[in-house]
Parts: sequence; structure tokens; C-alpha cells
Amino acid sequence: MTQSDRRGFLSVLGAAGAGVVAFSCGDKREAERIVQGQLASSLSPADLTWGKAPCRYCGTGCGVEVGVRDGRVMAVRGDEQSPVNKGLLCVKGYHLPAMLYGKDRLTHPLRRRPDGTLERITWDEALDLVAERFQSTLTEHGPEAVAMYGSGQWTVFDGYAALKWVKGGMRSNNLDPNARLCMASAVMGFMTQFQSDEPMGCYEDLEAGDDFVLWGNNMAEMHPVLFSRMLETKRRRPDVRIVDLCTRRTPTSDYADLVVMFRPGSDLAIANGILHLLVRDGAIDEGFLTENCVFKRGVEDLDAIGYGCFGDQAERYGFKDEARDSSLDELKAFVAEYTPERVAELSGVAPAQLAALARIYGERNRGTVSLWCMGVNQHTRGTWMNNLITDLHLVTGKISRPGANPFSLTGQPSACGTAREVGTLSNRLPADMVVTNDEHRAKAEQIWGLEAGTINAKPGYHAVDMFRALARGDVKAMWIQTTNPWVSLPNLRRFERKPGDGRFVVVSEIYPTPTTDVADLILPSAAWVEREGVFGNTERRTQQWNKLVDAPGEAREDAWQIVEVARRMGMGHLFPWEGDDWHEAMFEEYRSFGLGTGKDLASYKELQATRGMLWPVVKGRETRYRYAAGHDPYVTKKAGVHFYKAKGYGERAAVWLRPWQPPAEVPDEEYPLWLTTGRVLEHWHTGSMTRRVPQLHQAVPEAYVELNRADATELGLKAGDRARVLSRRGQVELSVRIDDRGQPPRGTVFVPFFDEDRLVNELTLDALDSISKEPDYKKCAVRVERAGDAP
Amino acid sequence: MRALLAVAVLALGATACAPADAGQSVEVPGQPGRSKSAAAERATRRAYDGAPPVVPHAPFGAACTSCHTAQGIEVEGLGFAPPSPHAETAGLGLTARCQQCHVLRSTDALFVESGFAGLRQDLRRGRRLNPLAPPVIPHPGFMRENCSACHDGPAAREEIRTPHPERTRCGQCHVEQVTSDVFSR
Repeated sequence: MTQSDRRGFLSVLGAAGAGVVAFSCGDKREAERIVQGQLASSLSPADLTWGKAPCRYCGTGCGVEVGVRDGRVMAVRGDEQSPVNKGLLCVKGYHLPAMLYGKDRLTHPLRRRPDGTLERITWDEALDLVAERFQSTLTEHGPEAVAMYGSGQWTVFDGYAALKWVKGGMRSNNLDPNARLCMASAVMGFMTQFQSDEPMGCYEDLEAGDDFVLWGNNMAEMHPVLFSRMLETKRRRPDVRIVDLCTRRTPTSDYADLVVMFRPGSDLAIANGILHLLVRDGAIDEGFLTENCVFKRGVEDLDAIGYGCFGDQAERYGFKDEARDSSLDELKAFVAEYTPERVAELSGVAPAQLAALARIYGERNRGTVSLWCMGVNQHTRGTWMNNLITDLHLVTGKISRPGANPFSLTGQPSACGTAREVGTLSNRLPADMVVTNDEHRAKAEQIWGLEAGTINAKPGYHAVDMFRALARGDVKAMWIQTTNPWVSLPNLRRFERKPGDGRFVVVSEIYPTPTTDVADLILPSAAWVEREGVFGNTERRTQQWNKLVDAPGEAREDAWQIVEVARRMGMGHLFPWEGDDWHEAMFEEYRSFGLGTGKDLASYKELQATRGMLWPVVKGRETRYRYAAGHDPYVTKKAGVHFYKAKGYGERAAVWLRPWQPPAEVPDEEYPLWLTTGRVLEHWHTGSMTRRVPQLHQAVPEAYVELNRADATELGLKAGDRARVLSRRGQVELSVRIDDRGQPPRGTVFVPFFDEDRLVNELTLDALDSISKEPDYKKCAVRVERAGDAP
Repeated sequence: MRALLAVAVLALGATACAPADAGQSVEVPGQPGRSKSAAAERATRRAYDGAPPVVPHAPFGAACTSCHTAQGIEVEGLGFAPPSPHAETAGLGLTARCQQCHVLRSTDALFVESGFAGLRQDLRRGRRLNPLAPPVIPHPGFMRENCSACHDGPAAREEIRTPHPERTRCGQCHVEQVTSDVFSR
């Protein structure tokens, strides 16, 4: 003990002594411990080196400061300089550093032996093996037999490297991300209405709005920091209203002014019912529509559309919508049948509640923000539902201004930045371009320095079809990075595989998962701040971070893995940069796709210097509200809005007429309950990261089934009992929760999907959205049986 | 050093304490019948210094703020429910959702062992210019606007209890130390 420590201790004692109370025994033991050197040896926050990064988990993109000492992350804190979260985090964000340090991190490349065991090999051997298998598959079976399945958790570098390798190198379009499972319907919603992806508003809508309508969105648990921003707005302005449209009561409902519970799948009827009332009550802004909108109508024949999971569609689902011109008069006639009484019949929503919703959207002097996420997107008519929500904003003119916007939330940290903007989808190229457009391919070939005609014009497999093709054997070599499909795909048993089936599956991961369990080759990846990265969040904010610590063992970043394989396949011309330090050069090349198109990203230097910037960034200025005069540099009008990206609609937005149609599977006598699946606050997606964080695992260690009390009583189940949940596709045993954090209505059960030991996706149906091909995880039919008493 | 400790203990006039495990609750000094968790136990509820503590009790169903009031209250059979230090943080007011950051603990088991070693939650001395100068605040102030939550009342650890709770504008004399650097031109 040093002299100064001793003095310090005395002064501490002195302070207590001068107070009114003496030490208690417990506190005195603490004081002794401190004096015995632990204070002297313990570090303070000032002893750490702090760097900036966005959070690794959801699409909110909270800024965190990362505290590092001796090559290890020891703490994080909410970044007070970040305009996203202003210093706050949620429990997952606070426990981020532990995500890196699970004892079973993958640290070396592992090859599966014929007997199923794994052997350690060198990076050179591993990369040679990948290159050789993809090359031989290409030679023997062509570009349709290779595939890459990526992620909305990919950094921009990972996604861009994958795009160049697959589309520019292997001339295949079999590149799709797990984001197909979570926001593809939102992409198609924005594309069909504005011919440009992503929201027009930003998070400041959460302060500027007057009314917040949450469509099937448990924001309190899924986007907690945005939810707390909204609650703060309500605290400051008590006239703010929050509406929770839901199929199950959640923690979000507890904070809502109006809870509208509806039957699964009937949201289409509710939105049309609101349109009906807006038309009836003269609340439509016809001036806005005349100036800024066109009307469209697509294919509505249920038999032609199907659900993507029955008959021939169960192998390959390729339905294409066809647009035809419509009109305001046709819209008025179209919604005439959605009377409050008919909507009540379809949805169970009382006419008075529907009227309240219509008043909220119709009130001219109040800003309305619609928020949605998986409830709307994971929907067999998810693109339609995205269209209808945006329609509500277009017909009332409540769009592209502060506090009045349709705002789609995303679940992954770079679903926007990588999957959507880089375009790592089977039909897309960067900056809203598609492979089916000659000019778009030509532009990509020119930027990439490739011969004209290199890029394949035929779209590849979307995610679910890609795995169906793997199961059939049509896809023979697949590389999976940063995602866990053998937990997250719907109807999982369809995709069961055993290594050694003649196909070659490579998985880049940071931990063992059910997906690495079936891999032929496992590559260890660097995670989060173990490498340099860029993510793009839900509000169009591009955020950059530097590498802050070394990855464990030989783990390397995903983009490096792809570049090295491409170089071994004779595709090194795609990555002409020397060595491994190509991040800035790669980003600037990627950025050139969007410059001058309204998708202008900030420069790498600007991103390094800021807490992210909202694109389009022109002359160093970000854009908070797209298409809005006075905000968006591409709008030259003095006032109002200009949907300048929608060239095909005369630079106007499209209002789509979309009917209600029933879900793919509905409860019947044999399977009488609705099953809906989702997430919990503590776990992120398949739990491969959050379950390795002690505090998060200990809070919610396993999946469970939430039952309505009446259903539970009828089944002879009480809280804690074991129940078997069965669908036509599988069964899983779970513990029962009643009146817990979520409360389903009678006839509905809920199971979270994070638990690899209790796979609810063995029950779900691989029904897909007709346009986006996103699976519907929210609606299928199950039966529940008693399996035993509480353990 | 031992001698010094003995002197310190004697100076406070306390009797010797029996050794005890962390996890034991301690009596609130001067308030018979009131108990709170030992400081060492409280420190185990955080992953690292600055992480939100997990909830150490079973869920009660009621709103958190019915026990965790501005001053905190004694809950019979459980101990003292401490007040919240961040009742005034934007976004964390009385209408906020506490569970956003504070989660329950329903098992001691782990999915996989963790090798994470966080920044220790510990008391740190706020440096004083001289023995009569007010100590600086050795921790971030963000989310800890309600100083009295930790520095006054039954939940306060004795070592950091303010001797002058009647003075309510703490920031007048105590400032947050945000860097170890010293000024130089």
C-alpha cells in the first residue's frame, strides 16, 4: 500500500466518520478489501482507450463507445455524441463486450473428416479448398450450381466483396442474404411506390411526430432505444398518442394509448378499412394526390399468386406481379367494400376502434408516423401491407416532412447498409439497380472494369429457394457467412442435411451453431470491433468504425476470406488492391455507384470523422428528409415534395390498390391455434451471440410458449408446465408461460425463435410473400398438448 | 498496514465483524430492522463498471417505480428498494421501461462459459486538491443525475455517503473528471 492510498483510505473514513452513521459490518469488509490493494489495482474508465462503433445487434444502430485495455474490450458505454441513441443503450448493447468472449470462439479453420469429426487445417489449405470446390462446380455445373448466402450483419465490405465475387467473378446471381427473411417486403414496398428503397424520414420523426401507429411491432423489446425516444416525446408532450396494432399483447401495449388487437393476417382489411373511412369522411388530400401521385393495381387472382409453399411452388416460387394503371376513382370504388362492419368481421376490430384509427390518419394538423417491422414484413402479403401503410400517408399527404412519415424498422445492423444498399440480393446491384436492367449491368461492368455482358441478367435464387435447391442438389456449393440458417429458416426439417451428401457447404462463423454442425468446412471470422467496418442503419445512417482489438486465434474478417478465395480463382482483378489494407479504396469504389443518383454516401473520411451521416450526402451535408423541399438537395422545388427517383411513374409516388387475402394456413379442428413467432428483448435473432452473454442467458435461458389463460385452462396447463406444440411439420416441447411479458389472445400461442435446442422453426410454414419472397413466420396452425408437470 | 486498519476500525468505534460471504444482507446503520445488500454482492450484479445491474429479485408484476421511488422504500422481507439514479435522464423518466436495461435473473446456469473480464465495479477515490477541497466525481455523470440515490439514504455505501445531504446542488462543488490529461499549450 502506498502512502497516497493510505491517505486516501483515511480520507474516505474521515468522510464517513463525519457523517451521521458508522460503518456496518458488510461495508467495513468492503472497505478493508479496498484498502488491501484492490482499489489500487483496479482500473477506472479513464484507464481504458475508448473508440467509437455502432452496436453489433439490431438495425437501430446505436452508437457505443468501446473501452479497450491490453487488447481486450472491458466495457462499453452509450455514445452521448451519437444522434441515434444520445448515450442510451438497451440491455443487449450494454452487454456487448461479453459477446466476443464466449469460451468456444472459433479460432482456426476446421475441415470435416468423412467420419464427421473436425480437423484443424491452415488458412491456405482452407482457402484453396473453397476456391477449388467452387471452381470445379462452376466448370461442371455452371453458375446456377454455386451460391452464397450472406447477411444483414455483413459489413459493407463483406457484402461488396461477395457481390463482386459472385456477380462479377462467377457470373452467378445466386447471392442472397438472410435479410430476405426480414426486410425484403419493405424493400419491395419502397421500390414499388418510390422506385427507390429505404425510408424518407429519420429518427427525429420520433420527436417531431404527434401520433405513432405501430403496425404489428413490439418496439419496446425489438427497438428499445427508439421506443424510449418515443416515450420521452410523450412524457414531454402528453397529447402525443401511441397506437399498438397487435395480434398479441406485448410490453409495447403497456405504453400505448390505444391497443387494437386483430386476427392474424387481417391487417390488410384494417388498412383498407381506414382508407374506406378516409374516403367516406372526405379526409383524403386530393390536391396532394393530383400533384404527386399515380395509382397502380397488380395481380389479385389468389390462384395465380398462391403462397409459395404448396404444389409446384414448394420447389420454386417465381410469381411476378404485373402493374396496371389505376385511378383515385377506382381506389374509392375499391375500398367501398371495406366497411367498418366487414372489417370487424374479418379482423375482430370494433368499428369504434377503426374509426379512431381513421381519425388519427385523417387529422390534418397532426403528424402521423407509422412504424413497422416483422409483423408486416414476414407476411404472405407483406409487400401489399407495406404498400397499404404508405398509401395511408400518401392519400393524406403526411409524408416526407418532420413527424409525418411511414417508417419501416429493420432488424439487422446493416440490412439497409449492406443487403439493400450494396444490393446483395439475387436480383440487385448497388444503389437500387437490378441485374435485369441492361443499363444497370453496364454501369456495374464499367465501374468494375469488366467486359460488357459479364454480369448474368437472370436473377438467382431468393433465400428460401436457394436452400430448397441445396436440398434438391441443384445447388452444389454454398458459402454461408454471418448467419445461422439452420435455426432461422422456416419449416426447418425440409432443409435437414448431413455433411458428405456430395454438396459442399462452407460456413464462416464466430461460434459453433447448428449451421456449423452441418458444414463441410468452418472458417473462423473476426467479429465486430475485431475488424474495420461500415454498417448502414434503419434511418439511412452510414456508420464506420476502426479495428479496436485483435481477433482471437487465426480468425479473419469475412471480406478478407472472400477476397482471398477470389484471388485463388483467378479473379484477383476484382480486388486490385495491394495487401490487406484495402478498406478505404474498396469503399470509395462502391460509393461511386450512388454518386449523383440520390443514393450518395458520405466519403470514407467523412464517415471516420462523424457519428455517421444520413444519405444522400451532397457537399458534406446529410439529408434528414428525402424528397422534401428544403431538406433534400435533389429537390429543386421551393415547397412540398418531389419523388424524383420514380422515373417510371413520372417522378410521382404510386398508390397501390391491394386487397385483403387470407393467410396460407389457418387454424382448423386438428390444429386449432395460431402460432406466431418472434424475438425477446434479451436475445438477438438465433442467440448465437447473446446466449454466450451470462446476464442475457441467465435472464431468458430457453424458449417457452406463451398461452392465453383460457386456452391453458382448457388444456389442463399451468405456468411452468411442459407443453408439446405440434404443427403439420414438426413438434417441440416447451415450458408454459401464462400472463407473462406477452399475452396472446385466446386461440393464439407465441414462441420465440432464439433457442437452438427448441427450434420453433421446425413448426413454421415456408409460405412466402408473393412479391418479396420473404417467409411468413407469424402465422401457421398448431395444436398444443400437455407434456408434463413443471420440472 | 494491519495496524493502520485496526486503528481505523477503532477510530470508528465499531465492534469486530464476523467473516461473512458476499450475498449476505447488511443492516442499515442507525436504522434497526432495515436491511440492504452488501456492497460486494451488489457489485456482482454488473457485468462491468457502467453496465446496468440485473434485477436481484423475482418479478413482482407491479411497476418498478412503486418500490423504487424517488427516495426508495423498505420492502418487508426483502430489504431496501433503492431509488433510481437516473430519474431525470432524457428517455429514462418515470414513464420509461426499466426492463430495457435491467433484466431478471432466472437461472445461474450458463449456455457457454464466458471469458469476458470487465472493468471492475469498484469504489474509486475522487481526487482532492487538498484535504479540505471537495473531491471531483470519479465516474461519468450521464444517467447518474440523482446523486442522492447512491450518496444518501439507506442504500448509500458508507464510504461514499455525503456528510451534507442538505446541500442539494452537488455540481456546485463536485465536478466530473472526464480525462486524466492535464492542460498544456
